[in-house]
Amino acid sequence: MHDISDLERRGLPGVFVASEPFRDGAQVQSDALGLDTARVFVDHPIQDRTEDEMRALAEAAFDEIVACITGP
Amino acid sequence: MTITVLDPTDETTVPARQRVVRPESLHGLTVGLLDISKPKGNHFLDQLEEQLTGLGARVERYTKPTFTKPAPVDLRHEIASSCDAVIEALAD
Amino acid sequence: MPEPATPARPEPATPILPDGLVAIVKRDCPTCELVAPVLLDLAGADTPLTVFTQDDPSFPTAADWVVDDTDLGVSWHHDIETVPTLLLVRDGREQERTVGWSRQHWQELTGADALGPGLPEMRPGCGSLSVDPTRADELAVRFGGSAVHSRRVQIAPLEDEMEAMFDRDWTDGLPVVPPTEARVLRMLEGTTRAPDEIVCLAPPNLVPCSVEKVAINAVMAGAKPEYLPVVLAALEAVCTDEFNMHGVLATTMAVGPVLVVNGPIRHQIGMNAGVNVLGQGNRPNATIGRAVQLTVRNVGGGRPGEIDRSTQGNPSKLGLCFAEDEEGSAWDSLAVERGFDPGTSTVTAFCGEGPRIIVDQQSRSPESLTRLLADAMRSVASPRMVMGIDAMLVLSPEHMARYRDAGWSKQRFRDELTAVSMIDSDTILAGAGGIDEGLPADFAGVQLPKFNPDGGLTIVHAGGPAGLFSSVLAGWLRGPGGSIPVTREVRP
Repeated sequence: MHDISDLERRGLPGVFVASEPFRDGAQVQSDALGLDTARVFVDHPIQDRTEDEMRALAEAAFDEIVACITGP
Repeated sequence: MTITVLDPTDETTVPARQRVVRPESLHGLTVGLLDISKPKGNHFLDQLEEQLTGLGARVERYTKPTFTKPAPVDLRHEIASSCDAVIEALAD
Repeated sequence: MPEPATPARPEPATPILPDGLVAIVKRDCPTCELVAPVLLDLAGADTPLTVFTQDDPSFPTAADWVVDDTDLGVSWHHDIETVPTLLLVRDGREQERTVGWSRQHWQELTGADALGPGLPEMRPGCGSLSVDPTRADELAVRFGGSAVHSRRVQIAPLEDEMEAMFDRDWTDGLPVVPPTEARVLRMLEGTTRAPDEIVCLAPPNLVPCSVEKVAINAVMAGAKPEYLPVVLAALEAVCTDEFNMHGVLATTMAVGPVLVVNGPIRHQIGMNAGVNVLGQGNRPNATIGRAVQLTVRNVGGGRPGEIDRSTQGNPSKLGLCFAEDEEGSAWDSLAVERGFDPGTSTVTAFCGEGPRIIVDQQSRSPESLTRLLADAMRSVASPRMVMGIDAMLVLSPEHMARYRDAGWSKQRFRDELTAVSMIDSDTILAGAGGIDEGLPADFAGVQLPKFNPDGGLTIVHAGGPAGLFSSVLAGWLRGPGGSIPVTREVRP
């Protein structure tokens, strides 16, 4: 989240992708950083997934991710 | 510690820090994919890369040395100078 | 039915004291400990007693007549300076009070006999927490805060407060002092004017600019409260039609307000009129001009790249403000020349660019120096521009000495300078000398002065004691659409 916050300050639209359990923590971090960073959450768990399952997660989240870095 | 300051402006704009303006589409732009280095994240990013390329974007891949700290300044500078947008993934 | 009167601005809520006897105490006070038994006695008597405790709500005892005042609201609003203070209250209003312990005064106030047997006759009290200097700021904000009306902006915990100022685009590119309520309240003490008084309509958006908004930007600039009256007067001056700040902002030329301060205020706030007067290092010089620029930027909306389209700008646009050296001058000060009494403090706003040096280390006579100055100033803006562009000449002490020694008055200097500044129009016509820039052909065959004799050249005296160098600051266009210098009195 710090990275996205810093990159936004450098003029780059950014989005942070995390698994679902990160949702609350990410809000707290975002409030603390003073910037409502764009973020997308995917289903957990992650570590026991196969490569195909990971790709499926990405495909499912793709539109939402792109929407976070395009406007208005 | 939260500090409160008084607004020095004419107060016609929102005082909070705003997200940067987004482009209308990614076509023809360079998108940086920043891997935070947790296992399996690279597969997620591979899929994003494929689909972004399909949208007509150029993709650059980057990797953080560790997910436990913010990315080094040099890496952030490189991403900022080479890319038009960035996706950081996958924290779990 | 009569119309209801316009309600006055609400006062900060003053807690009403309960009727009867009221004591304000704190546990951490030997005299309060001493009188604790007396308070217990009084609590059991006919007249109701209420005790407000500043630090420990169970002192002198846990009871329903002991009230927690650890936020110091009651103490602050009722001007408690000492503990214990004993008050007699009737119909919600204080009738009398006594501070510290004195058997005689306590008995008179309460009407009770034989209070505190075994106690000494009297004992002085201790400092009330509500006047503790380390808490003054906090309490002023908590209870005095209704004096300010600006939007409060929270800086998030992980935001660096200095970066937060940049992130919100409130700065001129240099760091600013975060304008906390405490700092702004302190800044407002520098003026007798009310925070909500409107100072000017800030260009370019013509936003009504209050004393409070100026104070916020003055804090950001790094100014001290005693500089605020000068900042206010300067804003009054630049926001006039004659100064034409809107035009000053919108021009592609490199100008901004150059502020000259005259009168006693210069010494009162420690301004610099001497060595490096136009440079860095002196706080009022550096911050007063900056406060004006920040206010125009933040309140008026005058930002570079937006309304400000200056091609190259100049460093003075961060702010340029200095004091005239009146004491070392043989001439009338700028303020006196412009009709003000020498005992009056003023700010004069001149629309100008940065200073350019004029070197003359050899002239022994006033005539020679004057010719050199005229020669050097011929290139203000361009040697091909006459009459239309103003300038400010800052004459240094060593150059002033030439005129003092010869007994020349300011007016004599002006007349002599104009005479030797006459330019043959033929030499500066468009195309003359292979240069396209210049006067139209129908200006041929005349003599023209470099500066408009009717106030085109502003003259001040400042600088260090050693150095045969003066400075000229090019100005802007005169006339409608341009800018003329404006002076305003500095009011407390």
